[in-house]
Amino acid sequence: MINFLNSVSYNAWILHALLAVPLLGALAIFLAPAGVAKRLALVVTLAEFVLSAGLWWSVNTINGTMELLSSTPWIPGWGISYAVGIDGISLMMVLLTTMLMPLCVLGSFNSITQKEKGYYALLLILTTGMIGVFIATDMFLFYVFWEVMLIPMYFLIGIWGGKNRLYAALKFFVYTMAGSLLMLVAILVMVRVAAVMSGTVSFSYFHLLSYAQSPIMGRVAPWLFLAFFLAFAIKVPMFPFHTWLPDAHVEAPTAGSVILASVLLKMGTYGFLRFALPFFPNVAYSQAVEGIVVTLAVIGIIYGALVAMVQPDIKKLVAYSSVSHLGFAMLGIWAGSIQGVQGALMVMIGHGFSTGALFFLIGMLYERRHTREISAYGGLARVIPVFSLILTVVSLASIGLPGLNGFVGEFLVLIGSFREYPVATGLATTGVIFAAAYLLWALQRLIFNRLDKPENQTIPDLTRRELIVLMPLLVGIVWMGLYPKPVLDKMEPAARRFIMTVRGMPVPGEEVVPIREVAR
Amino acid sequence: MTGLNLTTPTGTLIALLPELVVTATALIVLLLNAWRHQTAADSKLAGWVALAGIGAATAVLVALWRAGLVAEGPPHMVALDGYRFASLLLVLIASAGAILLSLDYLEREDLIAPEYYALLLMATSGMMFLAGAEDLIVLFLGLEVMSVPIYVLAAFNRRSVLSAEAGIKYFLVGAFASAFLLYGIALVYGATGQTSLTAVGASIAQHGMSPMAAIGVALILIGLGFKVASVPFHMWAPDVYDGAPTPVTAYMATGVKVAGFVALVRVLMVGFGTSIDTWQPLVGTLAAASMIVGNLVALVQRSIKRMLAYSSIAHAGYILSAVWAGSRAGASATLLYLGAYVLTTLATFGILGILGRGGERDVTVDSIAGLARNRPWIAFALTICMFSLLGFPGTFGFIGKWAILTAVTAEHHRLLAIVLVLTSLVSAGYYLPVVRSIYMREPVSDQAHDGAVLPPAAKWAVAIGVVLILVFGVIPQILVTGSDQSAASFAGTVLDRIGR
Repeated sequence: MINFLNSVSYNAWILHALLAVPLLGALAIFLAPAGVAKRLALVVTLAEFVLSAGLWWSVNTINGTMELLSSTPWIPGWGISYAVGIDGISLMMVLLTTMLMPLCVLGSFNSITQKEKGYYALLLILTTGMIGVFIATDMFLFYVFWEVMLIPMYFLIGIWGGKNRLYAALKFFVYTMAGSLLMLVAILVMVRVAAVMSGTVSFSYFHLLSYAQSPIMGRVAPWLFLAFFLAFAIKVPMFPFHTWLPDAHVEAPTAGSVILASVLLKMGTYGFLRFALPFFPNVAYSQAVEGIVVTLAVIGIIYGALVAMVQPDIKKLVAYSSVSHLGFAMLGIWAGSIQGVQGALMVMIGHGFSTGALFFLIGMLYERRHTREISAYGGLARVIPVFSLILTVVSLASIGLPGLNGFVGEFLVLIGSFREYPVATGLATTGVIFAAAYLLWALQRLIFNRLDKPENQTIPDLTRRELIVLMPLLVGIVWMGLYPKPVLDKMEPAARRFIMTVRGMPVPGEEVVPIREVAR
Repeated sequence: MTGLNLTTPTGTLIALLPELVVTATALIVLLLNAWRHQTAADSKLAGWVALAGIGAATAVLVALWRAGLVAEGPPHMVALDGYRFASLLLVLIASAGAILLSLDYLEREDLIAPEYYALLLMATSGMMFLAGAEDLIVLFLGLEVMSVPIYVLAAFNRRSVLSAEAGIKYFLVGAFASAFLLYGIALVYGATGQTSLTAVGASIAQHGMSPMAAIGVALILIGLGFKVASVPFHMWAPDVYDGAPTPVTAYMATGVKVAGFVALVRVLMVGFGTSIDTWQPLVGTLAAASMIVGNLVALVQRSIKRMLAYSSIAHAGYILSAVWAGSRAGASATLLYLGAYVLTTLATFGILGILGRGGERDVTVDSIAGLARNRPWIAFALTICMFSLLGFPGTFGFIGKWAILTAVTAEHHRLLAIVLVLTSLVSAGYYLPVVRSIYMREPVSDQAHDGAVLPPAAKWAVAIGVVLILVFGVIPQILVTGSDQSAASFAGTVLDRIGR
């Protein structure tokens, strides 16, 4: 494989192609007749996935450094370049994105019946934005992708969303923008300070990283960190910045919810891993900040789970469960141990698979009955057994049943953070129990119980198209649950490098082995 | 580089060629009106002649700019540097845009009076004098030549009470502003014995800032603050913007702002560059107040035209932040943002002009619901404009805002930067509903937007504006370099001296 990739000098063009292909696809959809829009989008997203798959082999993740670096001056007058690169962490995020997009397109085939051209074009533009966020190594470029992504999502929610879509779209937009604008000021101040010290104005990530630890930066670091923190915490979302999430999730069309949960939320945690913590480790690991973040993470875990439990709307239940799951990711990241960070990354990926699948399933149910009220269902297992089986498996994965992917991440996070934060970890563990409570209870009310509603008796089971949408996710859920080693191995050097940057010390190699055994 | 002695009549004439071309065209249009002023075709003819004049002036301007003229001998009356040329170009673009928008608008609204274009050209020449003034007397003359035709233009719709109100209101407030400015000039002259900005600057550098000069510069700031509609001198703006015919509003919002801000930058940096500490707090306060008040009040407006009036106050605040920086980066950011603002505002008002009738006062966020369904291109253009005004990445507005933020953070005023981004966030609260209404709501009826058709001339103006907004939003390098060099050519004489 690697020989073939080298023979087409894959590494030289792949990152640019990943950004360009969806944009060109969007343009093609715009010009093509409306009837072929969805098929064209499917072809483009599949091509994008096939293209990106080569990254698995071609990116050298052994060193944990950014690879495939490329930089072209963009606005040289301001020290801005078009600079991209990829490491083990970005690799997984990019693959997660490209894998989900064809499923999102395929999953929308029946549910989106109006303004198809616009819908699929926006999905493709969104793809470029998401990939751009994960591979940008220039802060200006990163910021542009981070913001530009808002527009397609805003329209996806606002045009194809549910009843209360206008409110949800605006809330989503304003919340995210509020955080990122402050980050913009922080980036500018950082660049300014680095320019004073180095004599060059540059928005390069590496340039800023090398000056981030200097004493002059140290004086403003708390404020800069605060700005970055807000931007990313809103995106994650951490309690108490999560209020936009339930609205956006519930009102978004199925594909929008899937993308929101599976990719967009990960941008927050990715931002912490890539920017906020490596830039300002001293602030992030100061006692006060550490205490606040860990407390908020634990509150998020428990609060999200408790609120999820009482939701009458199944989509809202899953939305709140995201708050809970991402709390684990935050806890693991802050623990700063290899297990913690690896666990956080696994939570990010695992949540992408299982919550993505849950949203797809809910969407499919909604298309059949046009309600998301849990109380409107009951006894579905007898009517639609395949659907019920898949829903059960995915729910169990989300709960964290050993052997499925949810378990690996949460378990790693819990052991990874136990030494640092025993009390917080103990409290977080209850989140797992609550997760079992809310999901199993929901399952009981949806697919078990008595089949007492006449309108539920004629629901058709999953079609072949829907099965095709769900299968890759199911395979991923089981594969990463049983054998997460390849994924963990790809990310481990990058995670170690992250820890080295933030903790200022190398991590001994032998620590990770037993954990991997356990996870297996 | 060619030297040009401005103290000789020939030198001054060459330096003022663009202004002279515009003034001459104004006279030609006036003569033309004398025997052809009856029909809509006559009005259009005058418009095209005016546009040709603007084109000729632009050609002359570009030729002068490329010749790389520099002043030989002492500075005299009018500046001769890249900053002036760049700002003149912006003024000419604003005028050309306003003419293109007016051509069919006047016919539709039955405002057949070809003098309109003569007035517009006279105002343009006034703006050019104001933007290029190197002497306080020229500055005042430019301001008056600019203002008087615009008073008339604001009241141009004789049949509309609101238009008349706009005219009289603007006239009264403008008279006050002129008085403030003139008094300020008198005090500065009293303190320094000079009217030439460079000489004033030298005197201030030598003797320091006397209280009299400080009051003088504050009064000049107030006078120009009225013209650019900064808080607390903004009270006239909403009513005047609202009442005036829409192309005139577009012209006021763009041309007057360009001229006013460029004059302000020149006065503050050339004349009072050494005593930056005196005026920075004032400008900073005005900037913050304008951003806060403009954005918050815009939130509660129903009429889009009125909302844009308040938003233009907010934009004045953003630009004042750049002026506040008092540095080369600040001067450059002022130009860049003005460029973005001119293009976006012209396109926005161009579209607004076809969405309603009779001055477009009743075009609300609700009445444009579902525009995207019947008029996808116009909807798209308006959306791009809204995102550009919001300062969203991918549009020219973002580049401008980025330049301002860079300039402000470089001078270590993080509070101003934070006020800027937070108020920008507030502005999402009134720009986004427009987008939302266009795309996410259903039209009131199927025929709701049948009348929303851009006439050919306005279509070109809007299309070029929107394309440029997008192009410069993605590849702004040429403008970044251009504005920086323009600021340097002017700052080179000033900033090196004061060591900034």
